[in-house]
Amino acid sequence: MDDYANPWLHRLKWAYLLLVVLTLMAPVLYVMWISFNANGFGANAYDFTWKWYGLILSDAQLIGALRWTLALALVVTAITVPMALVAAKHYKATRNKLFPVFLLLAPLFVPPDILGSALLVSFKNANLAFVWLGDRLGTEAFDAWFRLSFLTAVIGLVIYTMPYAFVVILITMGRYRAEQTEAARACGANGWRAFRDIEFPQIRPGVLSACAFTVILVFNEYTRTSLLKGGFDTFTTVLISQMLNTGMSGQSYAMSAMVSFVAIAVIGTIILVTLIRSEALAREARAKAEPVMS
Amino acid sequence: MTAAASETVGGTRPAARPRASASEALGRWAFRLPLIFMLVFFALPMAMTVVFSLFERTMFWMEPGFTLFSYENFFFSARLTNFLESMKYSAIAVAICFVLGFPIAVFVRRSVPQVAQHRVILLFILPFMVSEIIRVFALRPVLQRNGLVNTTLQNLGIIDEPITALLYTHTGVVIGEVLSFLPFIVFSGFLAMEAVPKYIFEVCDDLGVGPWRRFVDVILPLAAPGIFAGSVFIFVNGLGVALLPNILGGAGAVNAGLIATQAITALDFPLAMAVSAIMMATLMALLWIGHRVFDLTRILTPLS
Amino acid sequence: MLDRTAAPAVEVRGLTKTYGPVTALRDVSVSIAAGEYFVLLGPSGGGKTTLLRAIGGFHRPTAGEILLHGKEVGHLPPDKRPTTMVFQAYALFPHMSVAQNVGYGLKVAGLPKAQIADKVAQALEMVSLSPFADRRPHELSGGQQQRVQLARAFVLDRDILLLDEPLAALDAQLRKDMCLELKHLQEKVGITFIHVTHNQEEAMTVADRIALIANGDLVEYGGARDIYRAPDKAFTAGFVGENNLLAGRVAGLSGDSVAVDVADARLRIDRRGLRVAEGQEVTLSIRSEAVRLSRDTGHLEGQSIAGTYTESVYLGLTTSHRVRLSDGTEMVAREISERDDAPAPGTPVVLSWAPGTARLHVE
Repeated sequence: MDDYANPWLHRLKWAYLLLVVLTLMAPVLYVMWISFNANGFGANAYDFTWKWYGLILSDAQLIGALRWTLALALVVTAITVPMALVAAKHYKATRNKLFPVFLLLAPLFVPPDILGSALLVSFKNANLAFVWLGDRLGTEAFDAWFRLSFLTAVIGLVIYTMPYAFVVILITMGRYRAEQTEAARACGANGWRAFRDIEFPQIRPGVLSACAFTVILVFNEYTRTSLLKGGFDTFTTVLISQMLNTGMSGQSYAMSAMVSFVAIAVIGTIILVTLIRSEALAREARAKAEPVMS
Repeated sequence: MTAAASETVGGTRPAARPRASASEALGRWAFRLPLIFMLVFFALPMAMTVVFSLFERTMFWMEPGFTLFSYENFFFSARLTNFLESMKYSAIAVAICFVLGFPIAVFVRRSVPQVAQHRVILLFILPFMVSEIIRVFALRPVLQRNGLVNTTLQNLGIIDEPITALLYTHTGVVIGEVLSFLPFIVFSGFLAMEAVPKYIFEVCDDLGVGPWRRFVDVILPLAAPGIFAGSVFIFVNGLGVALLPNILGGAGAVNAGLIATQAITALDFPLAMAVSAIMMATLMALLWIGHRVFDLTRILTPLS
Repeated sequence: MLDRTAAPAVEVRGLTKTYGPVTALRDVSVSIAAGEYFVLLGPSGGGKTTLLRAIGGFHRPTAGEILLHGKEVGHLPPDKRPTTMVFQAYALFPHMSVAQNVGYGLKVAGLPKAQIADKVAQALEMVSLSPFADRRPHELSGGQQQRVQLARAFVLDRDILLLDEPLAALDAQLRKDMCLELKHLQEKVGITFIHVTHNQEEAMTVADRIALIANGDLVEYGGARDIYRAPDKAFTAGFVGENNLLAGRVAGLSGDSVAVDVADARLRIDRRGLRVAEGQEVTLSIRSEAVRLSRDTGHLEGQSIAGTYTESVYLGLTTSHRVRLSDGTEMVAREISERDDAPAPGTPVVLSWAPGTARLHVE
């Protein structure tokens, strides 16, 4: 805000921004609110309760789905984040940037149902081709390749989460000065050692954020997962089947609320940590009379 | 003299040409691994949609062949009308998102202290902390006949009769799109505003350029590639996310994503592939036009 | 002082570096003796940093050889070379303390902790930063940060230190102080320093020898004083010191002396053994502090030129008098500012110089 700006106009703009955030947040808050209502969704009376949270554990369907979702999230994160890190390093080093960036960001622009259908049909055809190949060779070793399963769901979700992880890591890398790697090399460290000792500690917040994003995206993704998974249910597929049939159960609301509580806590921690750190840096910079270069 | 130096080559020898050791070659391939993965599992399946869309439909699956039946099925039926309609409403959603969201990006870039900017923008990812299906589903009780919006407006005495056009209509889908995709115009607008240095505002103030002229003559041309990318994202997702018309739409509110999923449910896989191919063609055409007009590589400047 | 019998510390032979269609360095050959303070001087974008980084192993040469102590190193990465480097800025590890920064190279080399601590303390002592060992880089001033970089380099006991514009990010006064400090440190440790800069004052302060690099070419190299007093190429004369460059045409030759027509005057000048022919276009250079300004005419034949006074520029210690010659060339005579009686603009004046101060360049 500059010195001559109208302070009320400035406050009005802030109010608008927060109103938009609040509007967008409304469904989240609404779910949280319902999750504490003993009478469940749509009831006029409101009685506060923890009951639904207790019932999550005894809901076999939900717990089973949760286990699969968690497994998916962990495996996808374990694949996506290192790949995004490598891709970001490659992007920084390569001179032809258009092709890699197009390939890595394009999944953002392909809608979920389109990506899901295309992968579904491709996997099914690949599976049939491998079965056919196995028949020719007299082996059944290939029969399971690309059959819809945990693996195909992982592939689909890695493609979905890659652009997000890539961008988050790339933005953090933008603040890293390549001179430091060169300085480490000049000190006798090889390329891998320089990355481990110097670059990685500095981009770690970005890598951790990428992990958080990937887990949250996988948890909340429905379309791609439901098209590509094998015969198991995930958190969101359970929710959808409940919605379209009986309506969501109280414990499903509780579960959703819990997922968003955890997610908001994680993101909030990231915001707070970076806030505290940058505040500390700014304070130190102010405290010094001499000019600071970096 | 250090250990490093003494273990180098001994004596004089003919100029050692740069040679790639096995580990170096391995490293180079490791760096390409993500791109290879994306080529095999993303680019290839997307390209194969064209091939599969030409296959013959069988009872439960498809078999190799060459037929334009799926395209006929798409272009000479209500599907085309639905597709074009959804394009129109998707474009409306883009416009609304831009009007509501882009000023936020400008405001944050201009009036929020540098260190806090990213955190203010991070506020807009909070809605993604709950699954999209719940967010969309939760709109039903808000928009329905006796929902939150109608009862509030009636209690305030603004309307007498509940507005029924809010749900199970195109309007409902547009509302859902705006609420789902608004954050993306804030993100892309924020990135796009990186191309507009802060001093621009001071220069404009100094020259007496009003907010409107400043927006049209300075901000828009500089931020155009980023705005375009965000708009394409919203437009394409408006066409392709089946969930929105599925839950909020009614008769006629059918987009490409819904056509594809319905085709898959009906086991008409070639049709689903034809829809995917048409969507990819639409996307490619938009990106190509955008690249010709705005040079989309400019978006990458802050990233490189 | 320099040991010229052993293999030179650095020998570059026919080095060429291209980036696609752009040639950053063209067929550069230079030899740097062990224990020498060598400066690569030139305008920015001229290729001097590329040369330094090729010696350090950060750029792979397109053609040519780099020998360090007589051994070809063109294929080796930076960590396998007997060199270490000080960067312009931002090269300290921000997540490590000053002591950790300085000790990093030793840690990589696998030295025991106690030994690392000893060496780090010594190195910090040498750059007088001992009290700052536990600070973080961002808590130091620019000059202190660069001293940490120096300590980090010294501690490795490598015998070639590369400095890439080490003082460019500092303000003018600090740069002067650091210059002297660099020179003294180099004399103390006795290793080879190769220092890249675009600042000629910095170069003159520290250098034993200077190489001038511009447009990807090694223009000329030699002792710091020789480069200043007796530049061989007109480009060097234009870049180092404040030289007047005069375009002229050879009017006659007699033994070691050449007559050159500049504006209306015929100047006599030492031939320096150059091949010149009558009628050839040549360039003369005369340092501005060697030029004297006077109002009366009738000066030494062949060592003076007439012109019109245009303006004086007061620079504190010196005053620059600007004079326009009849062909439009501006000449500058620089004098110690003792008097404030500069001629009025438009006054006819004569510029003169001692025999031997003007130099002939052909290229």
